[in-house]
Amino acid sequence: MASISARRLAKELREIEGEGCPVGINLIKADDFATWWFTIEVMGDSLYQGEVHTLQFRFDPQYPISSPAVQFLVTDGRTAPVHPHVYSNGHICASILGNEWSPVLSVVAVCVTLQSMLASCKKKERPVDNDRYVRNAPDNPKKVCRFSDY
Amino acid sequence: MATRVPTVSDLRVKLCYICREEERYDTSSDEPPRAWTHPCKCTLIAHESCLLKWIETSQGTTSRAPNALKCPQCGSEYELVSRETLMLKALNSGNKVFQKMGRLFTVFSAATVVGVVGSGFYILCTSYGAWAVRAFVGKEMFDTLLTDDPSNWPWTAFINLPLLPISLILSRFQTVSSMPPLIPILLVWPPAYPTGAQRRILSDHWLSSTDSDLSSHLLSPARSWPPSPVMFGLFVFPVVRIFYRHAFNRLYFWALGTQPAVPQTGRMGFQLNEGPFVIRIRANVQDGAGAPAGVDDVQNGQEAAPPAQVVAEARAAENQDPNAAAVAAAEHLIEVNAASLGRRIGGALLIPAISNLMGTLLFHLSKRSSLLRMFLGVRNRPMGSSLVDTLPFSYKREMENANFLKQFSLGLKLATSALWGNSRVWAEQDPVWWRNSIGLGLFVVAKDCIQLLHLYLAKRELESRHVKNRDFAGVDIRELDLIPSFPRPPQ
Repeated sequence: MASISARRLAKELREIEGEGCPVGINLIKADDFATWWFTIEVMGDSLYQGEVHTLQFRFDPQYPISSPAVQFLVTDGRTAPVHPHVYSNGHICASILGNEWSPVLSVVAVCVTLQSMLASCKKKERPVDNDRYVRNAPDNPKKVCRFSDY
Repeated sequence: MATRVPTVSDLRVKLCYICREEERYDTSSDEPPRAWTHPCKCTLIAHESCLLKWIETSQGTTSRAPNALKCPQCGSEYELVSRETLMLKALNSGNKVFQKMGRLFTVFSAATVVGVVGSGFYILCTSYGAWAVRAFVGKEMFDTLLTDDPSNWPWTAFINLPLLPISLILSRFQTVSSMPPLIPILLVWPPAYPTGAQRRILSDHWLSSTDSDLSSHLLSPARSWPPSPVMFGLFVFPVVRIFYRHAFNRLYFWALGTQPAVPQTGRMGFQLNEGPFVIRIRANVQDGAGAPAGVDDVQNGQEAAPPAQVVAEARAAENQDPNAAAVAAAEHLIEVNAASLGRRIGGALLIPAISNLMGTLLFHLSKRSSLLRMFLGVRNRPMGSSLVDTLPFSYKREMENANFLKQFSLGLKLATSALWGNSRVWAEQDPVWWRNSIGLGLFVVAKDCIQLLHLYLAKRELESRHVKNRDFAGVDIRELDLIPSFPRPPQ
């Protein structure tokens, strides 16, 4: 019997393949139930017009009880969007990825939330403590921060 | 006709919002059916086991705990029904009180350290050390070794005493294999000979009293019991501790049905360790990740909980042992409430007071039992009234006018006594330190037993949990996908 996380991810994957992703979000890699990649771009008028970024999801065997580890990829020419809640190493400060994660959320729901986080941005800038954070950044992006609007 | 309110069992398709598994009312799955629950006021439903797991995990994370019992969609509170006995409630609230006190202590000591930097800190440590020694060895011995007047102290005391609180605290932050908390008090010891003025009085006394019978004193049990502090600290105590831990693990297994976790030494490089016993180890792994972040009011549960939880869960999954998982979860719940740095350090610094208290208690008890009195080696003779003779002062005379055989046997006895580690000062006085050590031991045993009881009750509570199932009152019946046989209101 496959584990709960694998069965749930299989189901989410079937839904993505069946119904497709929301506009601006594309699944580019889901070879296993450990790491998935999506491309994400903000549609319509926004500061991020024309930018395509890559989101990486990492799942542990406790998913969906434990939240997925989500970050922007910054390797192989990919970049993290310049945003007050996104560090230059790709880590994202968003409460739904930490304290406010709930199993009722899904991979696609997280993508959509992050997309709207970018869309509503007023000023392109890095977090104030970016340099300090990136120097001592933990491997696990889940611990980025505790409080934010998203 | 009044229709009844539908419940979760009236749904045509049930979809767990956690694991996303579906169950249709008309298909019987080959797996054993799992309990479903509708815990809130909206349409979300879940497997009861999935939901309980989610609640348990959230409650184990400090930052998530406030929302653990809330529906993520409609925000209504889940109602838990479980066997939360009065005892468990009492233990839980006791734990919280200690936690609060620990926090107060953290704040207080932080303020103290800031205010009294440098020399102030040194004086504080030294006087704590003196107080600790006095509490531990008793006033009589303290007056012999150190006295209240620091000008009498040997220079080593000015190094040993301030180190004492530090080593006491450090002993709580080390791995299980290293020093137990009692050793620093026994080994970072003021020199075991009297100071200045006291020394002359003592040696005069020893030299003058030569008429007592040497051999009988040497052989009397009072001479070799209790063992010397060094002997006790280096040999007796570690051995007793190993046996105790073994016995405690058995008790743990008996009570909880699973073995305590194997200590994960070296995983963090720096681990916080509450006590010498395995029961705390897993929690310490959790602490280790959070603690370096800051010394101020430590909320380590928050940051470090996921790894601990993952480790525990993974281990439970490996073993396929739901019992171990339940224990891990219960341990985790309790530890989250208990992991305060202040509580830990405060607890360490209270060790001398606790052992003094327990020792006094034992002393009073010993007035009623001669057996206990013998075991504790209680001596009431005030200093100097009936001293036992021994080396180096009076032996010399005896040796000189003894024949070879007697000399040999005396030497043998001397060697044994030296091996046992009795120094004259220690041997002659009422061994307050001994009953204090025993008392501290009893205290540790009692504390462990209470912790085990707490763990046992918490585990039982977890296992007896159910989420209260509600009907769909308040939800528009047309929103629900009901089974065909459900009686519908007339259109």
